[in-house]
Amino acid sequence: MQTVIDAHNISKVYNPDTIPVHAVNSVHLHLNRGEFTALVGPSGSGKTTLLNIIGGLDAPTEGQVVINGINISELKPNQLINFRLHNIGFVFQAFNLIPVLTASENVEFIMLLQKRPKAERTRRVHELLASVGLSDKLNVRPSQLSGGQQQRVAVARALASRPQFILADEPTANLDSHSAATLLDIMEKMNREEAITFLFSTHDQRVIDRARRVITLVDGRIENDSAATQIRH
Amino acid sequence: MLTIIAWRNLWRNRTRSLIITTSVALGMWAGTFIMAIYFGMGEARLRIAIDNEVSHIQVHHPGFADDKEAKYNMPMDSLARVFQKIPAIRAFSLRSVTTGMLATTSGSQGIQVNGVDPAAEQATRGMQNFVQDGDYLDPAQRNRVLVSTKLAKKLKLEIGNKIVLTLLDTANNITAGAFRICGLYHTNNAPLDELNVFVRKTDLDRLIGTDGRAHEAAILLHRDDDLDPVFQQLKQALPQLQIERWQEISPETALVLSSLDTYSLVFIFIILLALSFGIINTMLMAVLERTREIGMLMAVGMNKLRVFGMVVLETIMLAVIGAPAGLLAAWLTTLWLGHTGINLGAIMGESLRDFGYAPVIYPVLPWHNVVQTMQLVLLTAVVAAIFPALKALRLKPVEAIRT
Repeated sequence: MQTVIDAHNISKVYNPDTIPVHAVNSVHLHLNRGEFTALVGPSGSGKTTLLNIIGGLDAPTEGQVVINGINISELKPNQLINFRLHNIGFVFQAFNLIPVLTASENVEFIMLLQKRPKAERTRRVHELLASVGLSDKLNVRPSQLSGGQQQRVAVARALASRPQFILADEPTANLDSHSAATLLDIMEKMNREEAITFLFSTHDQRVIDRARRVITLVDGRIENDSAATQIRH
Repeated sequence: MLTIIAWRNLWRNRTRSLIITTSVALGMWAGTFIMAIYFGMGEARLRIAIDNEVSHIQVHHPGFADDKEAKYNMPMDSLARVFQKIPAIRAFSLRSVTTGMLATTSGSQGIQVNGVDPAAEQATRGMQNFVQDGDYLDPAQRNRVLVSTKLAKKLKLEIGNKIVLTLLDTANNITAGAFRICGLYHTNNAPLDELNVFVRKTDLDRLIGTDGRAHEAAILLHRDDDLDPVFQQLKQALPQLQIERWQEISPETALVLSSLDTYSLVFIFIILLALSFGIINTMLMAVLERTREIGMLMAVGMNKLRVFGMVVLETIMLAVIGAPAGLLAAWLTTLWLGHTGINLGAIMGESLRDFGYAPVIYPVLPWHNVVQTMQLVLLTAVVAAIFPALKALRLKPVEAIRT
């Protein structure tokens, strides 16, 4: 199996000089292509911090993150931004779409940053929005979409850049059960059919139930990893 | 797409954007219109200087500039022959000019006496048009004098009064003549009015012994653009004489005109400086309101240059929308008032005349200044964008997303 994420001995300490807070403690995490993994744990367990570190949004105090053989801890800020653009898709809890752009423009925007040709952008926007069931909402702005629809646009946007993997921080937290189920169906389908790697941080049992691997974080440490458990069993 | 985002972002808070856009438009209108008034005054000053005071070019004996003595004169015939050969010359006036003393029963004053050919003087500076009371110099009547209303008031003179002009002739002998006031004139240059009286050239020549000679030749051209070529022609044709353009004869007018561009630039700069604070404030608010959005853009891969560009673009749009509207309003106002004129006669007419300006101002808006103003607006927008854009760049995606 191709390794996509290799997080080695990751620690993150906030306020190291005053009152140190150990958000993540010596975490080792190894994710292969095509995994559908949930990072679970109580509030303050370090899920989001770990996700941010893996996504290159935050730097670890110790350890290194290697994605597809590239140690992202060694990248300069602009290289890191460029790396994220081409390798990582993000789905945020609060959707975070650009409110002044339509659904199709939100999806196209990422490809525009990648300088993809117009024809390819148009084709892919239509494909992606169709795959998330929003073909009829191409020219609708986020404010006119429901929360579930906005999150589906966010998934389409995350996929637009053809990333190595998608990091989703509590993607269903603001959704009703029907919208959450629809979203999970879409992500599962993409994972199954296109082998796209997903890593979620979540509290949501609905997500945990669908995940094929569940990693439990407590106090910044991995307390349980279902993959390891399965291997042990 | 950045342009689309910037444009749409601008209208997220419509009221705020409209307020700042209106401020820019008003600022530009006020600044440009005042600039047009300045240019109008400058243009009027130039026309007065050329058409009513010094003409385009003057020719003197080299010694005359230093010491206005009657002996520094030039032969009229040869001058006239040279001038008549140059088609660009519309009119010329050959004058006898000397300084002396004007005496009346009620007082006396040092003055400059201008001996002129009435017709030529009318052709070069429209002297007859300035006669307010009484008559212009009559070529057939001897020893008539035109004095200004200002001088008449000062010395309590009236039409028909006799005055005595005491002068020095070419041999530096004192000579005097009695002249009767035929008319009172009033030009747009009060200081000059007070110092100059006009008599027939033949009458003055008889007194100071300059028959057939002239101290000053004033030349009016058909077009202002002919100034330098004619100047060069005259320098070649009359190498022994002092040839001066209006800029040298009336350096204060040249200074006013040359400093107009600088004044207008400084004026617009001050207005833009004030506006830039409004723009900075608006853009700072816009950036702070969109902290999470900008954080997200950086998280998904928008590099700093693009974030910077987006904020700059938005700021430029904010500034640039209002500017053309203001400039258009200024142009329309100038078009209207440039036709009707702004009559300041009742408020400050005398003060304006004291500085050689006409009381009615016709605003003028030169295109190069409009272009220059637009360039300054753009520059201001870019400079005003720097602080908010830097603020956006300093955001850390991981923290910004959490807000």
